[in-house]
Amino acid sequence: MSLGDYLIPLAPEFIMLIGACAALIVGLTQTDDRRQFVSPFALLVVLAALVATVWLGSPTAETVSPPGLWLTSLTYFARLITLVIGALIVLVNWHQPVAEERGEYMAMLLLSLLGITLTASANDLIVLFFAIELVSVPTYVIIALSRTDSRASEAAVKYFFLGAMAAAILAYGMSFLYGAAGTTTLFSLTGGAVASLWQNGADLGPQAIIGLLLVFGGLAFKVAAVPFHVYAPDVYEGAASPVTGLLGFVPKFAGFLALIKVLSALNWELPTEVFWVLWLMAAATMTLGNALALLQTSAKRILAYSSIAHTGYMLVALLVGPVAGSGPMHDGVAALLFYMAVYGAMNLGAFALLSAFRSGDRDTETLDDLAGLARRAPMAALALAVCVFSLMGFPPTAGFLGKLYIFSSAFSLDAAHPYHGAMVALAIIGVLNSAVGAAYYLRIVAAAYVREEVQEAKPTGGMPLRWGLALCAIPMLVFFAWPSRLAGEARDATASVHQSIRADQGKVTAAEHGQADLASRDVIGSDTP
Amino acid sequence: MLSIGLTHYLVVAAVLLCTGLFTIMTKRNAIGILIGVELLLNAANVNLVAFDRFREGGLFDGQIMALFIIVLAAAEAAIAVGICINVYKNLATVDVDSARQLQG
Repeated sequence: MSLGDYLIPLAPEFIMLIGACAALIVGLTQTDDRRQFVSPFALLVVLAALVATVWLGSPTAETVSPPGLWLTSLTYFARLITLVIGALIVLVNWHQPVAEERGEYMAMLLLSLLGITLTASANDLIVLFFAIELVSVPTYVIIALSRTDSRASEAAVKYFFLGAMAAAILAYGMSFLYGAAGTTTLFSLTGGAVASLWQNGADLGPQAIIGLLLVFGGLAFKVAAVPFHVYAPDVYEGAASPVTGLLGFVPKFAGFLALIKVLSALNWELPTEVFWVLWLMAAATMTLGNALALLQTSAKRILAYSSIAHTGYMLVALLVGPVAGSGPMHDGVAALLFYMAVYGAMNLGAFALLSAFRSGDRDTETLDDLAGLARRAPMAALALAVCVFSLMGFPPTAGFLGKLYIFSSAFSLDAAHPYHGAMVALAIIGVLNSAVGAAYYLRIVAAAYVREEVQEAKPTGGMPLRWGLALCAIPMLVFFAWPSRLAGEARDATASVHQSIRADQGKVTAAEHGQADLASRDVIGSDTP
Repeated sequence: MLSIGLTHYLVVAAVLLCTGLFTIMTKRNAIGILIGVELLLNAANVNLVAFDRFREGGLFDGQIMALFIIVLAAAEAAIAVGICINVYKNLATVDVDSARQLQG
């Protein structure tokens, strides 16, 4: 087996890594006209990685996974979605920081995207932890660079210290998981059979439960779930709007991918305590996010609390878990992945609109700033309306289908499922919350369409930003009319999750599992198959 | 004579964790908070190395992870100092209490 067999399946990752280094170097040049190349270059890198992803296709059983990674259909889905939305993020951030800092900025953005795809492929707690940190650490820098005023540096301080604390808690939790399992490998892949970290016989004693709770706490910070959401509104408000659009998607997607990884390593059989903690977290996240959003007057803070509420909906799908052989209508994981893709675009679109206008000498932030937008810029207001209706979950937008999939997956759970009643109750809480959410989303649309102009909104940003806004809004309508392709990709992406859980049927004892794990490493470590 | 076992190390790590959390909650200076975060990361390191030492089997997953966490701590310190300088330029202090323009 040659080196190429290991490297070629990782081509999109290498393209992003090399591109990030090159962007850093280009950013160091002293002339402004050369720095102008950074944004087109970043877009080119993302598109090249996307082409490489499509060219490689979904990994098959023959694809060689390098040590510590497991390339699956989930990797493929994560690459596609990350890179498509990554391209939109680059467009929206085209003119974002001052030219002197754009090289660093785009390099950090590329590294963050690289972290997401690595999270989706991680097969080891070590790789998983550092992939998540590769997502988080660049975002601290991005916030600090996003604008020069003191609010951005305050947001960076808050996000950094809380984020670093969450990372340390995550590492501490993982140390307990390692102590309980005796290995950091999530799935051993010997001879085509997949065995997860906690095959039935493994010790799910107090040590593992402490570890799991700490890991979920650390990841809850990344996805902004209650009670680890407190930073979100301040950070979202302090960072420049295009960056806020990024913050709603990048850490959240990585966090949910990591949750999927950890839960599938557990065969989705949660200890009762852990299930109820997550259940309460989902219910509280939806309810608190929506309730606090109602009290806000700043459009940015409304969207920040709405992103917390969306985390709650996605947690519902996560708790439903995988249901083999079905699409997102019944399979919670597929519904979660579909929702994540749609959410990334619609959330980015809403923040792209905020960055496309300035009110007087300030960035557009409050509802007053948006007042009368429809008369001044009808197309932009239409794009905002589409994105906001999609966030609300109103047909004819993809956001409606996303919510429909999540709640139908919870309602259609098998009646024999141990938590059937609890999940139905959670879905009902979710549906009620969506209705409450309509109230504050409608205030945004009403400000743009019904109210008189308070202050003149001047267009800002260039054509790339406008293209980014349009490309966020149009798919919302397209995927409502034609969801089968995206839903199909989401269904295929869960194949590896099902595979790791089905493998559990052939019950292997913990000791055998440990030996199999050692054997698998020997195979990977040597040069012959 | 008392022999040192796994539990002793876990207790040390837990004490480190609590000290770190206490530092983060009470310190108002950004550098002080950074020291608290470093304590938390080292609590994880002590745990990892202790679990590694007291289990059967020949792999060193825990020690490898601890090594990488040391690297992460260094990277985070670099970014923390960068962010602190940024704050100092804007506010002329690194006292986190003075950073309260964003409320809600």
